Amino acid sequence: MLRFVATCAALALPAATEAQTPSEIVVTALDRHVLPGYAALTEATGALAAAAEADCAAESLDLRSTYHTAFDAWMGVAHLTFGPAETDNRFFALAFWPDARGATPRGLSQLIANADPVVEDADAFATVSVASRGFYALEFLLYDDTVSAAGDPAYRCALVRAVTADIDLTAQTLRTDWEGEFAGLMRDAGTNDRFQSPEEALRLLFTSLDQGLEFTADLRLGRPLGSFDRPRPNLAEARRSGRSLQQVTLSLEALSELASILSAGQPELQAALAMAFDTALDRAAAVDDPVFAGVGDPLGRIRIEGLQVQVGDIRDITRADLGPALGVAAGFNALDGD
Amino acid sequence: MIRKILTSTALATCMAAPALAEDATGVLNNYSDIAAATYEDSLIAAQRLKETIDAFVAAPTAEGLTAARAAWLAARVPYQQSEVFRFGNAIVDDWEGKVNAWPLDEGLIDYVDGAYGGPTDENMLAALNVIANPTFSVSGEDIDASMITPALLEETLHEADGVEANVATGYHAIEFLLWGQDLNGHGAGAGARPYTDFIQGDGCTGGNCDRRAEYLTAATDLLISDLEWMAAQWVEGGDARETLLADPDAGIVAMLTGMGSLSYGEQAGERMRLGLMLNDPEEEHDCFADNTHNSHYYVGAGIQNVYLGEYVRIDGSLVSGPALADLVAAADADLDTEMRTRLAETMRALGRIKSAAEAGFTYDMMLERGNEAGEALIMGGVNSLVSQTQSIERVVAALDLSSIEFEGSDSLDNPSAVFE
Repeated sequence: MLRFVATCAALALPAATEAQTPSEIVVTALDRHVLPGYAALTEATGALAAAAEADCAAESLDLRSTYHTAFDAWMGVAHLTFGPAETDNRFFALAFWPDARGATPRGLSQLIANADPVVEDADAFATVSVASRGFYALEFLLYDDTVSAAGDPAYRCALVRAVTADIDLTAQTLRTDWEGEFAGLMRDAGTNDRFQSPEEALRLLFTSLDQGLEFTADLRLGRPLGSFDRPRPNLAEARRSGRSLQQVTLSLEALSELASILSAGQPELQAALAMAFDTALDRAAAVDDPVFAGVGDPLGRIRIEGLQVQVGDIRDITRADLGPALGVAAGFNALDGD
Repeated sequence: MIRKILTSTALATCMAAPALAEDATGVLNNYSDIAAATYEDSLIAAQRLKETIDAFVAAPTAEGLTAARAAWLAARVPYQQSEVFRFGNAIVDDWEGKVNAWPLDEGLIDYVDGAYGGPTDENMLAALNVIANPTFSVSGEDIDASMITPALLEETLHEADGVEANVATGYHAIEFLLWGQDLNGHGAGAGARPYTDFIQGDGCTGGNCDRRAEYLTAATDLLISDLEWMAAQWVEGGDARETLLADPDAGIVAMLTGMGSLSYGEQAGERMRLGLMLNDPEEEHDCFADNTHNSHYYVGAGIQNVYLGEYVRIDGSLVSGPALADLVAAADADLDTEMRTRLAETMRALGRIKSAAEAGFTYDMMLERGNEAGEALIMGGVNSLVSQTQSIERVVAALDLSSIEFEGSDSLDNPSAVFE
């Protein structure tokens, strides 16, 4: 099934037997990957906010199901950390993770303990710490034993509605900015100051692919793996809602789609990348451990490490073959640094 | 089409290569001279810090503590300008954590306020308090800490249990011992540790004043020996310099990698945007001393130093020579102008943060939720750092160095390095 998904993504593209210009590649990526991704996101976040309005209880099936659908949709664009996602810190307002110092539970607990009236006004809520906003904060409100039961239920309800409305508003603004301005800057790269050449726009997409692979290998998989002597299952992403493995799978599917578009002018390379992503997705399917609880168990660990190695191999192909084929190298990314 | 571009670029590179190599060597030598001077200045300033600390510990007074704090603040000026040497040079990156690791769980070292909390999921040793506890266990092993020595700090305590927040050495450990926790939240004011925390015998506050003095002395000695080592790597014949000169193209990439990785992921992201987005005064780079505005400013200055090939030493003398700017100007004069402009804009933005902080609008206040002026100041710095990163990427492309990898030592090739 997973193999099928990646192969279909490759087939769905124009059968490009001729090399494409950087502009052509960028336009394809915008029309088939970036913009549809944001459209799907806003559809899902709209449904999420509506579900919270209808029933804000943490155990509401409808709310939980729209939470998962919206988080799934976010994973389609979570690797696009630049441009409108960087403006006003929107990326982090939707997705603040990892949270090495426990700012999300601490921030939410403070809001609840103080019954902070900031939840009553959307503009005011947008000034709240990003650790208390977005999908990861919502996960705590819906699934964390302590946070989901803290304080006054009426206040918690208002907070859930504020967080979901804020997610929807942020996602809508992202989409509007992409459609209204930023996609145009990328399409017209070479005629504006933000993108002085088509290669610059292409480099940004290539950097997103590279950074997305790094994020999944180093953080989504690397954090729970820890070291052999000190595995850290509690650091798995979104483990409270059982999404840790799902996050890896969805990120690989989105990155596979982008890689396929970027490599469309190089059929052999495109096939090699599709195969490498299929292998990773097969390995993910074989992990059978939705929250990486088994990182301390030798057999379970081997499977997760094998997946991490494969994601690293994809990144090697990307850097060694795809970058040179496109004539670009990955730029600096947010994970540079320590 | 792409193939065509690549071929023509390759041809252009072949023709330009010999001249570039010669120029690159001159640029790399000047870069190494600047690094050597910056680390030597850091060492000199640390030795001055040690003199004040020795005097203070021998006879603790309020004046003595003030003098030690002033020496620490002065020591940060050259050191922060050295951070631009980190990410491109593995020899610096592998070493840096010993002297400038941050953020830290300061409860590892000494007493903390009750609101600090205890051990966490992430760090079992977050509230260990070595100064109060001569024996304890780490990862199941019993530790004898009856003597607080440089070796104990460096080999046993630093990054104990594999947790990076267990920072036992370097500037920020010393900063915590000189200032204590900043309990003012978003209000003005730094940490207010009383000088009596170091009084031996009657009058000692905070308990274990002897061990606290021992810790401060050991951490300062260690800082000096670490800086001595690094300064030696950059003089003629030193490893850091020789590594760069051995492959001039890779050397130029190392310079640009340091500039770009520090500008974007580290300074704009980790140190500025994150603290602002979390509204968290603990997410300040020099949080105990309330020196964050200077820390940011001198990081920016270090990046500009590398591009312009100039550094003003702590005695006021100027180190200068062939610059990266010269290479860029030869390849694309407009891009050189753009790069200079972006760097200057960053310094103006960081300068605004510094001047506002020095006038009383401190960095903690800027971080407070809903403080629009503070947000505008900090985002001004973030946005200009992000913009200058775009120009740095253009420089990499213009010098046709793009086949060489960015990033320092933390990579997929060794993912465990990131988490250990």
